[in-house]
Amino acid sequence: MDNGLRLGVFLCDCGGTLSKAIDFSAIKAELEKISDVTYVSISHDLCLERARKVMQEDIKDKGINRVVVAACSPELHENGFMNIIQAAGVNRYLLSMANIREQCFWAHPDKGKAAKKAMNQIGTAIDRARFLEPVEQTKISVNRDVLVIGGGITGIATVIELSNLNLKTTLIEKKTALGGKLNQFANLYPVRVTPGELLAAKLKQVTERQNIDVLTSAELIDVSGQAGNFTAKIRSGKKELVRNFGAIIFATGCDSQSPGQIYGLEPSNNIVTQSQLEEMIKSSSKVEEIPQSICFITDTSDKHSRVSSFSVLENALGIKEKSGGEVCVLCQSLQIDGAGLERLYRDCRNKGVLFIKFDIPPKILKQDGEIRIEVEDVLMSGERLTLSCDLLVVEETSMPPLDSKVLSSTLNIGLDARGFYQENNVHLYPVASNREGIFFAGNCHADLDLMRALTEASNAALSAYQLLAQEKITVEAEKTMVDPDKCRFCLTCIRACPHHAIQEFRVNHEKMVAQIVDLACQGCGICAVVCPAKAIKSKDWSDEQILAELELLGEHV
Amino acid sequence: MKAKGAFSPDIIAFCCAQSAYQAADTAGSMRIPYPENIRVIRVPCAGRVDVLHILRAFEKGADGVLVLGCHEEACRHLSGNVRAKNRVQKLNTLLQEVGIDGERVEMFTLAPNQGFRFARIANEINERIKELGPSPVK
Repeated sequence: MDNGLRLGVFLCDCGGTLSKAIDFSAIKAELEKISDVTYVSISHDLCLERARKVMQEDIKDKGINRVVVAACSPELHENGFMNIIQAAGVNRYLLSMANIREQCFWAHPDKGKAAKKAMNQIGTAIDRARFLEPVEQTKISVNRDVLVIGGGITGIATVIELSNLNLKTTLIEKKTALGGKLNQFANLYPVRVTPGELLAAKLKQVTERQNIDVLTSAELIDVSGQAGNFTAKIRSGKKELVRNFGAIIFATGCDSQSPGQIYGLEPSNNIVTQSQLEEMIKSSSKVEEIPQSICFITDTSDKHSRVSSFSVLENALGIKEKSGGEVCVLCQSLQIDGAGLERLYRDCRNKGVLFIKFDIPPKILKQDGEIRIEVEDVLMSGERLTLSCDLLVVEETSMPPLDSKVLSSTLNIGLDARGFYQENNVHLYPVASNREGIFFAGNCHADLDLMRALTEASNAALSAYQLLAQEKITVEAEKTMVDPDKCRFCLTCIRACPHHAIQEFRVNHEKMVAQIVDLACQGCGICAVVCPAKAIKSKDWSDEQILAELELLGEHV
Repeated sequence: MKAKGAFSPDIIAFCCAQSAYQAADTAGSMRIPYPENIRVIRVPCAGRVDVLHILRAFEKGADGVLVLGCHEEACRHLSGNVRAKNRVQKLNTLLQEVGIDGERVEMFTLAPNQGFRFARIANEINERIKELGPSPVK
């Protein structure tokens, strides 16, 4: 077989552990019979530095142009091996791996069968190696400015972080002033600063920085382009601005809604929501203005919200400390995690705030302007209590930001079932959207307390920095590519791409075709499957490579 | 044809590199045994598995095909797993029509840490295909 291929097979017995089950020299002899296999080596520790050097030299000396590694899972060291072969002058994508450790010897106790399977796996990897294609790397220039949407505390913290990283930022806020929800809160537990002080300190930093541009009464209307080169249309007052950005961070926060309907009650002057109470506390300078007995109700809607639990406990404690009146919190479990929440709960109890736990939501009756609450106390074996109070405070549930629907459809970013922005993967990519270069921070996509929101602000800023650290960034050119001759521009791939990485492109001023943006593509290969003309090829997972792995099916394991 | 008891089916498992492939690794790391005749093919996303790939597997002599992807709502590429599920469902009926049992191909979802689940699925499908006998395409 002369196909110009010179395959090098590197076997690793994982420190000698795998050779207990299989005779590696027999495999070597078997593999050397294959005509396009130029070189076979047995190593004990391919993952260690010295073996890597030897591997690199072997590749150079023997003129190997395709590398097969039979060792542990590619999930562990694939990238390392790619770096080695790249350093040896072979394209990093000309690597095929056989997972003979995790998916063979470790899983199959029968040594004979495992040995047979390993041989089959190596053969399959060799079959695949014959169809590998090189993917070149190119450098593209990116715009290093960042757009941050939302001037709440998360947005403000994000622009400060970005400014520390030397990135120029534009912060846009819909309202006339910055601050967002923080303006509403009366106090912030466990930090001993008032919301006003915290905000003033942050705003001072924002105004001092040269590289932060703040636009208030401004809205994002449209975004075109891709990661590294977005063009955003912004309405600021009556003007319309067009600016270019490399990345966009959403910090739009959330809206809140009072579930008044649950109690069948209309809000009145003695039934208020959390934010109305905050207003009352902030405006009342005299202690006498605060009602003498206050009841809080929380946990009635099934969502356990950190923001709402914090504010219930903070306000209960604040009022107790200020007026010394009767404060009672009706709750179900208060099982919410948050830094300092347990201490806050204990502080409340020590100061004399009464907690009554219920299973069945309490009944609220209004008689002659007085509020009466009937509740079964779980801790007193369901004893029925009747309470009366001057003021009832009901919890608020957080709602997705009002414009999230519009923005998500203009930008093609996903929403979750409740209408909040959906991060790409909750565990692995907590601040990334489904599109490269667009990130989320704060309550626009998750339920976070202040500390967590500030952490997210740094996280989102760093994610943007990772993308825009250099003016020119390295990307894999045409890893997935459209053949312009075969493309009929049916738009199927453009609709199917989960990362919105495919755009339209005009060839030679006439025909329109689909074009994949290298920086935005995340390599899932979904487009290659849906394309009816089979015009799309994903070079690292091509059909030929996948089908080559089926070649050895006839041989029984 | 071999006797039914000695029949060891050839099963291809297309495994998403984000979840199922790692679940297979987890099974190995935890030394949870599963049949040797399950052959794993790593794909970037369950959505990368084409009907063509599955049909070619049968053509090449597979007795059963598994498509293993991420749990719903947890796909790295958002809709890849749903696409794969729909494709496999469509293929079930298609295979039935051409005389191959539709039950020979199935889609399951896993998380990367579900080594036990991977081994259970592998055992289950192995038993099922043994029951069905060799693929009529062979």
